[in-house]
Amino acid sequence: MTSLKKNRHWIKWVLLTVAVIAVFLLGMVLSTIIERRAESNIAQQDGKPNPRIYETHDATEDTSFASKHGGAVERDYLEENPDLVILWAGYSFSKDYKQGRGHFYAVSDIRSTLRTDAATVGTCWTCKSTSVPRMMKTMGNSRFYSLKWIALGSKLTGTIDCLDCHDIRYSELKVTRPALVEAFEQQGKEINDFSYQEMRSLVCAQCHSEYYFKGEKDYLVFPWQNGFSVDEVADYYDSIDFSDWTHKLSRAPMLKAQHPDYELFQAGVHADRGLSCSDCHMPYRSEGAIKFTDHKIQSPLNNIVNTCLVCHPETEEKLRQNVYERQDKIAQLKKLAEATLVKAHIEAKSAWDNRAAEDEMEAVLNLIRQAQWRWDWVGSANGVGIHAPLESARVLATAIQKAGEARNLLAVILTRQGKKLPVQMPDISTKEKAQKYIGLDMEKLKKDKTDFLKDKAAKWDIKPKKSIPPKPVKKEQK
Amino acid sequence: MIITKKERKGILIIRRYLTVFFSCIAIALFFLVISLSNAPSYIKDEPDACINCHVMVPQYVSWEKDVHKLGTTCNDCHVPHNSLVDHFWFKIKDGLRHATVFSLRWEPQVIRIKPAGIRVVQNNCIRCHEKLVKPGIFSMTAGQTGIIGGDRKCWDCHRDVPHGRVQGLASSSLVRAPGQDSKKKD
Repeated sequence: MTSLKKNRHWIKWVLLTVAVIAVFLLGMVLSTIIERRAESNIAQQDGKPNPRIYETHDATEDTSFASKHGGAVERDYLEENPDLVILWAGYSFSKDYKQGRGHFYAVSDIRSTLRTDAATVGTCWTCKSTSVPRMMKTMGNSRFYSLKWIALGSKLTGTIDCLDCHDIRYSELKVTRPALVEAFEQQGKEINDFSYQEMRSLVCAQCHSEYYFKGEKDYLVFPWQNGFSVDEVADYYDSIDFSDWTHKLSRAPMLKAQHPDYELFQAGVHADRGLSCSDCHMPYRSEGAIKFTDHKIQSPLNNIVNTCLVCHPETEEKLRQNVYERQDKIAQLKKLAEATLVKAHIEAKSAWDNRAAEDEMEAVLNLIRQAQWRWDWVGSANGVGIHAPLESARVLATAIQKAGEARNLLAVILTRQGKKLPVQMPDISTKEKAQKYIGLDMEKLKKDKTDFLKDKAAKWDIKPKKSIPPKPVKKEQK
Repeated sequence: MIITKKERKGILIIRRYLTVFFSCIAIALFFLVISLSNAPSYIKDEPDACINCHVMVPQYVSWEKDVHKLGTTCNDCHVPHNSLVDHFWFKIKDGLRHATVFSLRWEPQVIRIKPAGIRVVQNNCIRCHEKLVKPGIFSMTAGQTGIIGGDRKCWDCHRDVPHGRVQGLASSSLVRAPGQDSKKKD
């Protein structure tokens, strides 16, 4: 110490500081090593993924992702495509139709859509709330379906959650909605006989399937008697003389398709190779050393690395382009079908205005029904055909062909009536114009909905002051 | 403030002891880090060294199930073998990168090989399978010109080798990996 020149003593202070910092940094390195080793041991003994799963489930609140044709953002389909208003004239979808957001929003979105009102039936709640299985068990399926939608609102405030797909005691996958079970029973299949991998699709198929309300009591049924394809389902509906509504312009007996995601997926190559919905929409995720299923159910385009890249060793960008390419082509066919159908409806209206006979219009109306059903089969399914691009293209092609055939017949009828062709198309270039053309009072509908949300719906969320303690559950010996 | 000569001497003595104390702690911690992180295992080529980090378990498991388990270790493919210098220099570079990323929890959800790593593996494929692949008696099969000096990789076609077709977390269930203190394999 004394050997150093006086003005070099500061070096020894630096030495001390360096030693202290070294201890600190080495301590941090040591602690990360110990931590990461510990987490790998924990994972292998007793992995407890549940809090992590629930966090990812809550992440369905995120609406920031927009892909080219979809994503989680709120899209007003009627705004983007006013033709839809005409296609659904006389039906509630002409009032309001938005892209579905994450499961987090199931309850809030069904409340705020203009499609629900005083006339809505309780069956509409079936897929929206985690309390539905419990309610159905308490009051029976038929009674649940037959109640009014508004009457059930205060009891169904919790959105889609764990109990929709899982058993409460053992966390196993469980189908909780009777319509799916009953549909398979019709085919001679038991829900308990399906494999685990098939269950990873079936819990989604509970809701992401085509359905209709049967009879006076609006009992929920899946129309799978003849099979899953669009033609087989159409045959079934024809055989029971079923229509969802009569078109306001063309008076055609129409069918509405509702998101046949499961059925359409079965026709694609990925289902053929044994994939389930969960393989792409709920891939595996790891946090630390714990591997669990990502419950942020979303577009795989927002997580290509964990979904497509598991089996397809391409770059992310290439796969995204592959998806967009298929969706673009389906979208092109979809647009053709819509354009032709709009013309068909309006030309049919023109024929009726010129006093066409019912028997001469029957064939036309049936073609319009079949065409629009096929267009809607692909249109209402999520993903713009990506679940089965080839089948989607085929279905849309038949829609275009049938709508064209209808227009051919209409041309004959109109000519016979002395009408000058082509029929003048109204200006339906925007959502507002189209809704006005079909006679909707949007102001009143919006006001009614706002009033409803403020008065009735707001009360639904108020928790009762006196909390009822839950009944003690008898522990079963297993 | 003015310090007396006696006080200054005291401070300097304390400083000396503190420096020695912290230096000893630092040296001790250093050896602890070396030992707990299994650092010496990286000098050799045992595959178990690679699963010191649990994120590599799917790759370890897929290698175990592949035919390459019989004669190759991780380093036989993933570290250059053309010269000792290249061998250890690559190990140091790559190893420090792995260690940093893992310690700071920067590892991505899906781990994919880097361009430098791709070059190393490709060269090692050729190194072992040279007779089959270089121009000669056995090399009538397609693709040689693409492989040697071209941009095609052996695993563009031989996709199963050795980590299987299914990548990422879906490729293995949560398997046990040999722990820090166990010499036994599971």
